[in-house]
Amino acid sequence: MLTAAKNQLRVCGLSVRYNIMREMLNRVTFLTNIGFMILNNATFIVQWVILFHLKEDIGGYRMSDVMLLWGLAASSYGLSRILFARAFSLPGLIINGKLDAYLVQPKNVLLSVITSSTNTSAIGDLIYGFLIVCLFCFSVNRLLLFTLFTITGTVIVTAFSLLMGSLSFWFVRADAFGDNMVNCLISFSTYPDGIFQGTARFLLYNIIPVGMAIYQPIHIMIEFDGRSLLIVLGYAALLTAAAVFVFYRGLRRYSSSNLMEVRQ
Amino acid sequence: MRKYAVIYRSVLMENLQYAMNIAFGFISYFIFIYVFICLWNYMYASPEELIAGYTKEQMIWYVMITEGMWFGTRSGTVTRQAATDIRNGNIAYLMNKPYHYTLYILTKYTAEWGIRLPMYAALSISMGLTMVGRLPGFRLVSLLATLPVILLGITINAVFKLCISLISFWIEDSNPFQWIYDKLILVIGTIFPVEIFPAALQPVFRLTPIYTVCYGPAKLVVDFSWEKFLEIVAAQIIYLAVGCGLMFFLYGKGVKKLHVNGG
Repeated sequence: MLTAAKNQLRVCGLSVRYNIMREMLNRVTFLTNIGFMILNNATFIVQWVILFHLKEDIGGYRMSDVMLLWGLAASSYGLSRILFARAFSLPGLIINGKLDAYLVQPKNVLLSVITSSTNTSAIGDLIYGFLIVCLFCFSVNRLLLFTLFTITGTVIVTAFSLLMGSLSFWFVRADAFGDNMVNCLISFSTYPDGIFQGTARFLLYNIIPVGMAIYQPIHIMIEFDGRSLLIVLGYAALLTAAAVFVFYRGLRRYSSSNLMEVRQ
Repeated sequence: MRKYAVIYRSVLMENLQYAMNIAFGFISYFIFIYVFICLWNYMYASPEELIAGYTKEQMIWYVMITEGMWFGTRSGTVTRQAATDIRNGNIAYLMNKPYHYTLYILTKYTAEWGIRLPMYAALSISMGLTMVGRLPGFRLVSLLATLPVILLGITINAVFKLCISLISFWIEDSNPFQWIYDKLILVIGTIFPVEIFPAALQPVFRLTPIYTVCYGPAKLVVDFSWEKFLEIVAAQIIYLAVGCGLMFFLYGKGVKKLHVNGG
């Protein structure tokens, strides 16, 4: 059992490694993508400098807290697009019947699918997240917590994308709906939760998992609370279990397009 | 011109078939605007307060107009398609057709937003009226006068984005440059009006495409004046001429670098 899990992880690691090596074939483009993504994220610092110039406190957040929020959102989203980029484009594979190549492999189907692609620019997102913590609010404890929450955030974001993507097994236009929901998660994750009230706040903590992926971890990093930490870890595990369950239920409905193609 | 009219009509008809897909994008726009309504509701301590000379209603309407233009004209034609045509060599087949490639891309893009933009405009107006309220001092005549400014703004933006895509003749991936251009337009002109920035920076921003692409049209809708109208139209004409000149220059230089390898 343990050996099988170890082998599976090794295969996933190799898959991601080869994805990155393939992208590195053109080194200039590879580095430009990463560098410009960092710059791209950094432009939003201007937005927050302007807003904090107008008001010192926005939704209970100070400038350093918002930077931490941005950093965690960027690193969580970045790591999930480095390791599990295909979870974000799953509907295309389902609708076009292109899952065949993964079904015949002797390893776990789900992990083979979601680790089969890597987004190069997401490396820039991940680097940006850690840069922000080091520049704006560094402490060893915070860095350790930030690393832990980057992993939980990655798990939650990936599980949510997988859940939304798997809807395409049942519904024809679920791809557009799923994309919108994932975009929604990203849009909300870069604004302080204190500005949202009532129903919106309820949705952010219960339906769109941005509350558990980003907001709650930020509160824990600002003021540590062991119980909240356990809730975040439990939520990540539960959402992952739900996403895996839905994917395999949906896979029973999958029909191939009988398309002959070679995986790159 | 007739050939471009035919391209425009055929792309318009094709895109009419996908109106439902466009409507799915409304969810993202709705969420984006909702976030900004929450943000500005929080930032304005009282409804009468002015920030950079804008009331709360004007500020939210400003964002809704610029974001409506952003979402309503979002298409991969001037960015992804043009860059891919150059990268995969498809341009070799398109450049000897009886049209100018850059004008073909611009016509196709115009036909695409010809469907999208009116749909987003209708959504913006309904959201604005129900969630924000009427725009103070708004007159229908000023909206009619602003329409050509909006069209010019969108065209200038498309020309500059196409210029960035044409860089693909020299470098493999022009996407990162598109991100930076998009983010500058988004942060400086779309989510904030120019007046919100420090006074020393405002004259600099007025010299950039941001002034003509998003700030100008939105400013005229929320706070119209003939003086401002003439100033913005003059700046747009200059920018359009410079942008087109740059576009033809880059294309002319770029196609000379093409190598035909057969296949």
